[in-house]
Amino acid sequence: MIRERLGPIVLRLALYASLTAITFLVCFPLIWALTTSLKPKAEIFAVPPTLWPQAITLENYAALLSGKSQYFQAEGQAAIGTSPAKFFMRWFANSAIVTFGSTLISITVATLAAYSLTRFRYWGQRFVPYFSLLGYMIPSIIFVFPLFLMMVRIGLTDSLWSLILGYVCVTLPFCMWLMWAFMRSIPIEIEEAALIDGASRLQVFSQVVLPSALPGIIAAGIFSMIVSWNDYLFGRVFMNSLDNLTLTVGVMLFFEGTHVDWGLLMAASVLMTVPMALVFAALQRHLVAGFGAGAVKG
Amino acid sequence: MDVRLEAINKSFGAVQVLKDIELVFPDRKFVTLLGPSGCGKTTLLRMIAGLETITSGVIKFGDQVVNRLAPRDRNIAMVFQSYALYPQMTVRQNLSYGLRVRGTPKAEQDAQVARVARVLEIDHLLERKPAQLSGGQRQRVALGRAMVRKPDIFLMDEPLSNLDAKLRVTMRAELRRFHLDLGATTVYVTHDQLEAMTMSDLIAVMHGGVVQQFGTPADVYDRPANLFVAGFIGSPPMNFLEGEIAANAGAPAFFSPGIRLALPHLAGRLAPDQRVMLGVRPQAAALAPAGGAATVRGRVWVVELLGSEKLVDVELGDKRRFTVQVRADSVVGVEEEVGIRLDPETVHIFDMDSGNAVRSEG
Repeated sequence: MIRERLGPIVLRLALYASLTAITFLVCFPLIWALTTSLKPKAEIFAVPPTLWPQAITLENYAALLSGKSQYFQAEGQAAIGTSPAKFFMRWFANSAIVTFGSTLISITVATLAAYSLTRFRYWGQRFVPYFSLLGYMIPSIIFVFPLFLMMVRIGLTDSLWSLILGYVCVTLPFCMWLMWAFMRSIPIEIEEAALIDGASRLQVFSQVVLPSALPGIIAAGIFSMIVSWNDYLFGRVFMNSLDNLTLTVGVMLFFEGTHVDWGLLMAASVLMTVPMALVFAALQRHLVAGFGAGAVKG
Repeated sequence: MDVRLEAINKSFGAVQVLKDIELVFPDRKFVTLLGPSGCGKTTLLRMIAGLETITSGVIKFGDQVVNRLAPRDRNIAMVFQSYALYPQMTVRQNLSYGLRVRGTPKAEQDAQVARVARVLEIDHLLERKPAQLSGGQRQRVALGRAMVRKPDIFLMDEPLSNLDAKLRVTMRAELRRFHLDLGATTVYVTHDQLEAMTMSDLIAVMHGGVVQQFGTPADVYDRPANLFVAGFIGSPPMNFLEGEIAANAGAPAFFSPGIRLALPHLAGRLAPDQRVMLGVRPQAAALAPAGGAATVRGRVWVVELLGSEKLVDVELGDKRRFTVQVRADSVVGVEEEVGIRLDPETVHIFDMDSGNAVRSEG
């Protein structure tokens, strides 16, 4: 009898134990990065390694946020040329600008395009949404050189605009398809009701359609933000001056030279994940609704 | 305000959905566009609303041609089949939206919303979102949104079709009452002949993009213009028997296997050997007493009790069925041999070729 009662409990415990183990395994790099970033330099390579820092320090973060090169001198290193830490805030800002800019353009264009594709009749209206997905099936590496050549021709290389436009090229097709699927689920009658109620086309769009499409817009926005924020390829190819790098490319510079400052590198990595984590946490609910609506065709 | 439709045509690509519609909806009347799905009634309503372009013809509100007028400039209100409430707005915002976009002062908005909410008994729902309302409540909000602006013309597209049967009966009476209170011309679209009969001042029966008959409910019921109207209006549906006209000493008679019915009142309007359809409402036929004279004889196939009446389905000699409505207390058994008595004055005769009714006068 006890066995019968214990059976499910043991099973449950085993399940939780294995889930905990898997979660720990998956999160370990993140945890390791976080704890390493909080360790003083001496402890990073301590043997045996410590999972939790014995003396927590925020010096790595302070160095990144202030960008002071004295820090390195205080440690007895010569600050040769430029230290990546000096540029960290600049890169952070670049990433933010590029991500925000490309997302803004992407969702604006995608929303308007989707509205037009679902509400007006013209040639191509039926197949354009499906073909837009095709573009997303091709890896960005194939786009990057043609795009680079175009950027050279219009003189946008090494400017944040090149990245903004590059990311729009990558994210727009999927955003448009997502918005298209979403817009189709908004009944046209509510727009007609608003037209009869006395609203102009623009009022109908802004006061009736947009609020209904908000979950889709948020989903498309998150998608676009993640792609832009995490991109390395375009950032590497389009940019060359240190001032204009984005975080993903910039952080790689911590590896360069003779010395790798692991504490700084880990602190930079942790800071890099913060904005996306915040966006995710804030908008998670809408994301599910948005992808759900897009998932079912028609 | 009266609504005039003059030679209205509508095509979607090569498909013509409305053909030469000529209708006048008088001021303050409740007019119903009635017909089966696909007859073009909703398209016509949407053209009156300005949501659909007009291929050719003229729509006038009073003396003003409104063909090119935007929906918002027509001073109309419309209730949609799906209600079409703004999902992200509260009931209050839904009701006041039309006033807000037209720049009505806030105090007047509030007063109007309060007035309509009171009439429709939805005052307690004002802060809710449409998703939190039942079907009947949504229906009322949709009505309220239409009423709040005091429109000249009220358009309704099957507003009751999403309600359950009981609520539909209640709302029918309420809609009729609202119409009287509002004093606006109402154009109502439905495929439900009962709704059309009970609520309308005038009914336009439509089929295949053509108006088959336009008249009062009594007109279309008692004097159907053609076979379609006769078959579409009335429940249970009219009985039809195909036959020919036999000339008999100057007076025509309907002739079909087992049936012979003299039609003296139609003398001069029917030709010998003309192929016709005889139409008889189940209410207009009677079972003949045993041994009494009968127009046609048959065997009872099934009896259905409706409560206050019984429907007796009689199988005639050549397997055709004929429904007779009798009082519920009549004693009729299945398989019983019965006679059916028809009164020439209450039957309808339709020409088989044109489908049009043949009547004694004019």
